[in-house]
Amino acid sequence: MIKYASTRAAFIDSLTELAGSNPKTVLVCADSAKVIWADGFKERFPERFIDVGIAEQNAVACAAGLASCGLIPFVATYAGFITMRACEQVRTFVAYPNLNVKMVGANGGIGAGEREGVTHQFFEDLGILRAIPGITIVVPADASQVGKAVKAVANIPGPAYVRIGSGRDPVALDADLPFELGKTRVLKAFGDDVAIFTNGHAIPRALAGAEELSKAGIKATVVEVHTLKPLETEAIAEILAKTGAAVTVEDHSIIGGLGSAIAEVIAEQVPVPLARIGLRDRFPESGPAEQLMDAYGLSVGDITAACRQVLARKEGRHG
Amino acid sequence: MANLKLLAEKAVQTRIAILQMIYQGKGGHIGGALSCTDILVTLYYTVMRIDPKNPGWEGRDRFVLSKGHSVEGLYAILADLGFIPRAELDSYRGFGSRLIGHPSNKVPGIEVNTGALGHGLSVGVGMALAGKMDQKDHKVYVLMGDGELAEGSVWEAAMAGSHYKLDNLIGIVDRNRLQIGGSTEDVMALEDLKAKWQAFGWEALEVDGHDFNSLVELAKLPIVPGKPHMIIANTIKGKGISFMENEVGWHHRVPNEEEYAQALQELELRMGAF
Ligand SMILES: [Mg+2]
Repeated sequence: MIKYASTRAAFIDSLTELAGSNPKTVLVCADSAKVIWADGFKERFPERFIDVGIAEQNAVACAAGLASCGLIPFVATYAGFITMRACEQVRTFVAYPNLNVKMVGANGGIGAGEREGVTHQFFEDLGILRAIPGITIVVPADASQVGKAVKAVANIPGPAYVRIGSGRDPVALDADLPFELGKTRVLKAFGDDVAIFTNGHAIPRALAGAEELSKAGIKATVVEVHTLKPLETEAIAEILAKTGAAVTVEDHSIIGGLGSAIAEVIAEQVPVPLARIGLRDRFPESGPAEQLMDAYGLSVGDITAACRQVLARKEGRHG
Repeated sequence: MANLKLLAEKAVQTRIAILQMIYQGKGGHIGGALSCTDILVTLYYTVMRIDPKNPGWEGRDRFVLSKGHSVEGLYAILADLGFIPRAELDSYRGFGSRLIGHPSNKVPGIEVNTGALGHGLSVGVGMALAGKMDQKDHKVYVLMGDGELAEGSVWEAAMAGSHYKLDNLIGIVDRNRLQIGGSTEDVMALEDLKAKWQAFGWEALEVDGHDFNSLVELAKLPIVPGKPHMIIANTIKGKGISFMENEVGWHHRVPNEEEYAQALQELELRMGAF
């Protein structure tokens, strides 16, 4: 049975706590307070809440102005409205001057956009931001991790992006697990046949795939890469050297996100067979999250098949 | 009482520096730099509360050059006031120089990186909001080009400015009526510009952007509490160099040797008259 907890609520709870201890904390919305469940924050800190209306470009540039005066603004709305509608503001007015603006993007991934369709499903956000210098990019596993990740990015100076989900987000990890910015971590180590790199709400699927493979005698290691930037390249290279085969599993386009990031390490440092699981360069339909992810190549069966394929290539068989 | 003669002198001096920088750096946007020179001079030498010895002073007024391509005059003024060494002006546009073609916050005295048009007013809204939130009394001045007013984001900022009653926010439009592609009214008509700002809830005023008598009145703003102010400063693109005035081609042309000599002579003649 999958358990659910809201990454949006987790973000706001964490931000409210932050604002309680640091009066410089500000929430900037683009009529997105309802989207990110911010009513509690608004009530407690009305003077630390700014709504610019449905105007994301203004929200991001305005946050840049706030940050230049020493405040710590969190801009929060749908992932695509930050990374696409306000893309240039993020690049030129936040990242380029290295301003202390935090961005929180909801509905990251096709699963997070359930029932809303492509306009509200964002599977390019990470690729877009990864192309811009100087932004810390985090894809927390679940609600409990979001709460900790928000505090972690608040503690570092400079631009950061935290990806959150739909509000109905699968619990992926033990709630006691800490969050260490910039660190990869092994979630499950059956063995060194193949490494499965994963993050966000795709994690339960990656873990289920590894479990299934282990029953068939294939020993995988599941590695969580929640911080896409800065990427912990050495640790990843080390794992790749040990396993000699890799699969990436993410709810994002296979172009630009975790799959690309791992492919870059592989191509430049440890050339091993790789298969990328994610949205394969097309627009998805709309529907319940679990069904959508199954339909678009993120099923547990897809993951195990990809692992078998890279394993065959590693062993010189035709995969 | 502002020293109008001093302002006029600083303006000619700044125009000479603009001309030299663009000629030596082999690039720049001379027309728009010259049209907003008198505005910049007025802001920096009389209106704004700043401390060149302490560029990061918390109580300073904030300035955003939304029309970032007109940066040469700003560099010249920052050097004259001592924010940066005067000799650094020679490095303009050179490899490794802090003085690039658009403002960057690596330069002491420059708050934010601008130049991608249509965004400066939003940044100014953020700075003004920060002032209100923290009960600080700094004012925020945003200098915009007229061409960039076609950007939709300007009007997002316009709405937010009046919604949040940002009377500490003062926008200035360098209304030279030209942009790279021709007349603003041909490319994308702006008039009735004053009525537009008024309709967005701003206190809008028109001034002659080359008349120091009127420009020094900027120091008295805001005159209407609870409202952001927009000053439409009517200017002449290429102002101060006869053959550049009102000529659209001088948006970003670099003068050749002969043109440079003539322009310099005109300005030096005026300098000599002080
Ligand atoms: Mg113009």
